[in-house]
Amino acid sequence: MSRTQVNSICPFCGVGCGIALVASDNNIIAVQPLNKHPISQGKLCAKGWNTPFGISRHGRLTQPLMKVDGKFKIVSWQHALSYIAKNLKQFISESGPQSVGLISSARATNEDNYAAQKFARAVLKTNNIDHCARICHSPTVAGLKKTLGSGAMTNSIDDVGKADVILVIGADPTENHAIIGGQIMKAKLCGAKLIVVDPRQTRLAKVADLHLQLKIGTNIALLNGLLNIIFTHNWQNDEFISQRCEGYDALKAHVADCTVEKTTAITGVYGADLVKAAKLYSQANAAFLAYGMGITQFVSGTNNVIAVSNLALICGQIGREGTGINPLRGQNNVQGACDMGCLPNVYPDYQSATDKQVRAKFSRAWHTEVAALPGLTSLGMSHQARHGNFRGLLIFGEDPVVTDPDRNKVAQGMRAMDLLVVIELSMTETAKMADIILPAASFAEKQGTFTNCERRVQLIHQAVTPPGEAKVDWQILKELADKMGLPELMNWQTTEQVFDEMSQLTDSFSGMSYPRLKLNNGLQWPCNKEFPDGSRCLHSKNFPIGKGKLIPVDYVLTDEIPDADYPYWFTTMRLHFHYGCGSMTRKSPLLERETPIGLLFIHPQDALDLGLKNHQGVTVSSRRGCVETRVEVSHQVSPGLLSMPYHFKEAPSNFLTNDAMDPNTEMPELKVCAVNIIPLPEGQPPRSSVLSDIGSRND
Amino acid sequence: MIDAKKIVNNQYLMNDLGILKRHLAKCYSIVQIQKDVDGENLWTEQFSDICEPLFGHDHLPLTSPKGFLFAEKEELYKFDGETFKTIVPQVQPKVLFGVQACDLSAIAYQDKFFKHDPYYQKRRENTLLIGIDCESPCANGFCVQVDAGPHVKDNTADLVLSRLNADEKKGSSEWLMIAQTEKGINSIKGLMLDKSENKHLKLRKKLLEKVRSEFADYSYISNAIEYLNDNSVPAQLWEELSVRCLGCSGCTNLCPTCSCYSTYEVVEKQPDTPVSISTEVKLEMTQSKTIRCWDSCLFQGFQKEASGHNPSQKAAQRVERFWFHKFSDEYLPEFQRYGCVGCGRCEQTCPGTIGVHSVMKRIDQQCCS
Amino acid sequence: MLQLTPQAMRIIDIYDDGTHARHFTFEPKGFVHDEPISIGQFFMLTLPGAGIAPFTYTSIPDKTGRFNALIRNVGHLTEQLFHLKIGDVLGYNGPFGRGWPVGLIEYKEVLIVAGGCGLAPLASTIDYLIDHSHAQSITLLYATRDSASQVLKKERARWSSNIKLFEVFEVGGGSDHSGLPTQHLSHLLNKDERYPDIVLTCGPEAMMIAVAQSCTELGLKTSDIWMSIERRMRCGVGLCGHCYVANSYACKQGPTYRYDEFMALESKTVAFEKHQNLFQYC
Repeated sequence: MSRTQVNSICPFCGVGCGIALVASDNNIIAVQPLNKHPISQGKLCAKGWNTPFGISRHGRLTQPLMKVDGKFKIVSWQHALSYIAKNLKQFISESGPQSVGLISSARATNEDNYAAQKFARAVLKTNNIDHCARICHSPTVAGLKKTLGSGAMTNSIDDVGKADVILVIGADPTENHAIIGGQIMKAKLCGAKLIVVDPRQTRLAKVADLHLQLKIGTNIALLNGLLNIIFTHNWQNDEFISQRCEGYDALKAHVADCTVEKTTAITGVYGADLVKAAKLYSQANAAFLAYGMGITQFVSGTNNVIAVSNLALICGQIGREGTGINPLRGQNNVQGACDMGCLPNVYPDYQSATDKQVRAKFSRAWHTEVAALPGLTSLGMSHQARHGNFRGLLIFGEDPVVTDPDRNKVAQGMRAMDLLVVIELSMTETAKMADIILPAASFAEKQGTFTNCERRVQLIHQAVTPPGEAKVDWQILKELADKMGLPELMNWQTTEQVFDEMSQLTDSFSGMSYPRLKLNNGLQWPCNKEFPDGSRCLHSKNFPIGKGKLIPVDYVLTDEIPDADYPYWFTTMRLHFHYGCGSMTRKSPLLERETPIGLLFIHPQDALDLGLKNHQGVTVSSRRGCVETRVEVSHQVSPGLLSMPYHFKEAPSNFLTNDAMDPNTEMPELKVCAVNIIPLPEGQPPRSSVLSDIGSRND
Repeated sequence: MIDAKKIVNNQYLMNDLGILKRHLAKCYSIVQIQKDVDGENLWTEQFSDICEPLFGHDHLPLTSPKGFLFAEKEELYKFDGETFKTIVPQVQPKVLFGVQACDLSAIAYQDKFFKHDPYYQKRRENTLLIGIDCESPCANGFCVQVDAGPHVKDNTADLVLSRLNADEKKGSSEWLMIAQTEKGINSIKGLMLDKSENKHLKLRKKLLEKVRSEFADYSYISNAIEYLNDNSVPAQLWEELSVRCLGCSGCTNLCPTCSCYSTYEVVEKQPDTPVSISTEVKLEMTQSKTIRCWDSCLFQGFQKEASGHNPSQKAAQRVERFWFHKFSDEYLPEFQRYGCVGCGRCEQTCPGTIGVHSVMKRIDQQCCS
Repeated sequence: MLQLTPQAMRIIDIYDDGTHARHFTFEPKGFVHDEPISIGQFFMLTLPGAGIAPFTYTSIPDKTGRFNALIRNVGHLTEQLFHLKIGDVLGYNGPFGRGWPVGLIEYKEVLIVAGGCGLAPLASTIDYLIDHSHAQSITLLYATRDSASQVLKKERARWSSNIKLFEVFEVGGGSDHSGLPTQHLSHLLNKDERYPDIVLTCGPEAMMIAVAQSCTELGLKTSDIWMSIERRMRCGVGLCGHCYVANSYACKQGPTYRYDEFMALESKTVAFEKHQNLFQYC
C-alpha cells in the first residue's frame, strides 16, 4: 500500500493550478499543492482540494450503456460503437452531414478536442462542432477578434501583481478563479487600487476601493459613460491612440452625449464614482482589466466586449506589463477547446472554416475531403433538432440539460434527436436522456495538455488507470472512425502524436512539443519562430490586425425586462464550492455540506415584502419554466434583483433563463431575465427537478 | 507515542547515511523528501535507487508527513446487512527518513491527540521516525517562537541526525546520530557504529545557537500570541481578515497538527444495476463502508446542524477559532505545547493572504496601537 | 483503544409522537451494555449508507438493554431513518458525554424548561426524579411552536400527576400560554414564592441562553443553571472536532454544561453578534 505522486493540472477552472495527485492502490487518495508552480505557488481552492472525490472510482460509469425499453443495459464497446457508426452513416446518407454533429468538452484535453473536430470535419464531413464556450466566452472570441484580431487574454495572470489599478467587470474571481481572486486581494493589500463593476456585492466588491453596483444589463451605458468622462477631461492616452488605434473620431463623437447624468440615470451609479473610476483607470501606470460572464452572457455580449476593448485601447492599457484585456476563461481547457477549433466556424488556431485555402490545407494534411458547408452552433443543433433536421449528436463531458439556457427547449431538442450519445464520467442529467452512454477517462487517468486562461499550454500526467472499461476521448473517436470505415484518419498510437500533428498544422503552437512543455512549466501561445519561448504579453508592438479598432457600440435593453407578471430581475452566478453542473464537486461530502440544495439570493427588503423567512421554499417562474428552491436572504443583491447559482440539478436555474441570442455569436442571454416568486408554505420543502433514471422529470 | 521514561540517548558518528538507509531498507519501506522532475519537494516512498536525502531550509516540503499517520482517507468499518466490522488498516513498516523538528513536534502533538485512535496507532507503531536538525531557517518558519525547532526536540524521534560538518569538496559529511528510543536502538542493531564524544554534543549545541541566531525577528508572533490569549483582539479585526477566507481548506490540510475529520458513507453497487442512480437506501441490500476524510473548521458547514443552527455561522468566528486552537494557553495542560509548530505552511498556501504571518502581523499592529 | 466501529442494534418499536417526530425503541443485537449509562448522556446512531449522528436516550437502557429515543425528521440522515421499519438493523456507539447532575438534585426544587424536542434529553431525568422521590418538587415549563409539535405524549401523561406542568405555545396558546418561555419565567418563579434551587434547560441554543439569562436576572445563580448543548458530531469521542465549544468538546465535557461553565468557555473568544434565529424549535 504505497503512495505514488504524479504532478498534473487542476481540472476545474481556467486558472490552471499545479496539483499533485497522490495515488495508492490505483485510487487517488489525496492531492497536494505545488510550491514551484508559477501560477498557483502552493495554493489550491476548495474545489481543487476536493478533486479526489470528483474523480473517485465510486459512482463512475465503467461500461458502455444502451437504452433498451427505457432502461440502460450494459453492452460491449464493439456493439455500442458499431451501432453508433451505423446510425451516423445512415443519417448522413439520408439527411446529409448537416444532420449530425459533436459537442466536445472544454474540460477534456487539447488532444481530445483536436480529435473531436477532426472527426467531425474529416470523418463525418460536417462543421457541426461546438462546445460550451458558446455560452461562455464566444463573444470574447468574436468581439476581440474584431477589435484586436485575437480573442484571448492579452496578458498573463502574474500581471495582476504588476498593476497599480485593477478593474474587474462582471466577474467574481474569488469564487470561480479563486487563486486569481486571491492575487487580486493581495495586490490590493500591497497598494493597488481595485474597482469592481458588478450588480451584486461580490467578495471583491466588499474589499474594493470602488464598487460600481450598476443595474443589470447596463454595461455598455456605463462603459460609454466612462469614455465620455475620459474624453471630457482629456485623460485618454493620445500617443497610444494615434500610433496604435483607428476609429478614434467616430468613437469620440459617438459617446459625446453619454453624459454623466444620462449614465447615472441608466446605470444607477453615482456620477462621482463614475468620474473616480474613469480617472483611476485612465491615469494608472498599469491597469489590469479582467472580465467574465457579466460582460459576455448577454444579447449584446459581443458589443459588451467591444465596449471593454474600447476603454482599454483609448487608455493605452494594453501591450505592457500589468495591463491588458483579460477575459477570465472559466473551464480548465475552454481556451484549448477554442484553440483546437471546436467551433463551427474555425479550424485549429482560428483558421477560418469558410476560407477555401484553409480547407484545402487541412484536406491535404488529413488526406481526405473535409466538411464544406457552414456548421451549426450547439444552440443551432438543438434548434434544428426540434425542427427535425438534426438527427445524431455526440456530447463529450457536458451537461447541457443543467447548464444551457431554457432547459425545456434543451430537453425537447434532445428528445427529438434520433441518436444521442453521451460520453461522460458519471450519470449526469444529460446522460440520463441519452440513447447510448460511453464511459470516459478522467484527467487523472490520461496524458495530454490543458490550456489555461493565460494561453499557457500545460501537460497533465496519468496517475491511475481508467475504471472498468472507460476510455480516453480521442481513443473513442479513433475506434469510431475505424467503425465508420476510415481508420487511417485517426491512427494515433500516443497522445503525443495527436499533439504533434496539431502543432504542425498551426502557427501558434508550432514551437511546442511535449519535451519543451515539460521543461518550462508549459508555454504560452503564440509559441513559434517569432516567439520561440512563448508569449507572456500580447500586442506589445502591433495588433494582429495592425491597429486596434475602436468601434462605437450602443446600449440596448436586455431582451426581457421585469413587468407586471414577472416583476423581478433574475441573474445567475457561481459559488466557490461548486463547479458547473456539480457532477464532480457535489460528490464531495465537504462541499455538498456547504450549501443547501439550491439557493435563490434575495435582498432583505424584498424578503420582508413577501413575508419570506431565510431558507424558506419558493417557486420561481419565468416565461419559460419554473423551479422550486430556497431563499437565501442576503445583502449581496440589490432590491428587485434575484440571483441563483446554476450548480444544482434539483433546482436548475436554466428552467428560467432566456435563450434570446447575441446575433453575432448565438450567445444566449443567460445573465438576465424576468421572474416571479411565490413563497411556498412555511415548512414545505421545495420539490426537486432531478430527472428520473430514464430522463423524465418527476412531476 | 514516545514514552519519556524510556529515552536512552545512545550517540554515534556516521559519515555515510547511505549505510543507514540500506540497513533500514531491509525491514522498512523508506519514505523521504525527494525533489521531483518539476523541482517540487515531496514526501516520497522509495523502492529503488537510494540517493542522498535532501536537508536544509530549502527543502521543507509544502506537505508534511501527516498523511502517513493520520490518513487523508481511512476506511473505518463496513456493514454487511447484519453486523459492523472494523476495517484494520493494512500497513507495512515504514521509516520517515529526515523529518524536520517542526513536523516531529506536530507528530508528538498528534500522538497525544490520537492516543486512543486505533487507526492512527496502527500506522504509528509501524513507523520509525528519523529526525534531522535544521541547519538554517526556512522561508516561513518560526519554530523558535513556538518551541518546536530548529533542532529536533527531545522525545520526538526514534533517531536524530545532526550534521556536524560538511565537506563540500569531498562531498561527504560528518553526522551525529542519536538513538533516542528502544525502537531506534533496535533499528540500528547490526550496524558497526563509532560512538560519539562529548565534543560532538557540544558542537551540536553550538550549531543550534548559530541557527537560532539566523532567524528573522519574529517578535510580532510572540506579541500576537499574548494578545490572543488576553482576548484583546477586536471583533472588527476578525471581520476584516475573514472576508478574505475563501474556505479553501488549504491551511487545515497542510497544518501538521490539524486533526479534524468527517465521515461519509459509500454504498457498494448492487450487482445487477449498472449504475447506482437511486439514492434511497435499502437496508437489506446495503453493503456499505464508513470512511473518514480530513475536514476543515474553516468550512461554513463544519458545525452546521441538521436543524440549520450553526454556532459558527460567521467566517470571523471560524477564523478566530482556528487561531485560538493554534495559540491558546488553554490547550497547554493537555498537549504541553501550542497547536502551532511554526512551519509557516499556512502562509504559503492561503490564497486570501491570511496565513500565520499575515494574521499575527496584523494583530500585533492592531493591538500595539 | 477506542472502538469507532458500531455495535448492531435493532428497532423494536416505532410510533409517531409530535409533528415530524417519532419515538423509537431500540434493542442491542448481539451485545450488552457494559458501562452504566447516566441520565443525559447520548449515543451515536449509524444508519449504514446514510451517516452517523448523536441522539439522546429518552429513557436509558433497562435490564433488557432496551432504550428509547425521540427523533425528529430534520435532515438527510433522519429523513432516511424515517423510512425504516421494526426489525431493521442500525449501528450503535455509546454511552457518551456528561449527563445531568442528578446527584445534586436531592431534596431540591427543580425547574425544567424544555423547548420543542429538547424535552427528550430531559425525559429520563424527570422519570428518575419521580421514581426516586428525590425532588422536593418538579416544575416543567414546556414550550413548543404549537400543540401538535409537542412530543413524548405518553411520558407527559405519565408525569402529569407527579409534576407541575406548564405549557407555552408560540402559536395558538390562550393568553396565559402563548409566546416564549422567557415571558412566563417570572410568573412561574414567583408563583409559590419559592424559587427553584436548580434549573435544567434544553432546547434551541438561543432559547437556553435566554432562559438562563432571565433566570439570573430573576436572582438565580449561574452555577445553578444547567443546559444541554447540541452540536454536530461525527464520532462522539472527541476526535472529529465538530462539536467544539471553545477548547472543550460537547461530546466529552458536555453535552451538559453548567451555565457559568458555558459562559466562561464562550468568553474565551470574541463574542460576535450571533445569528439571531431565536426560538426555531426543533
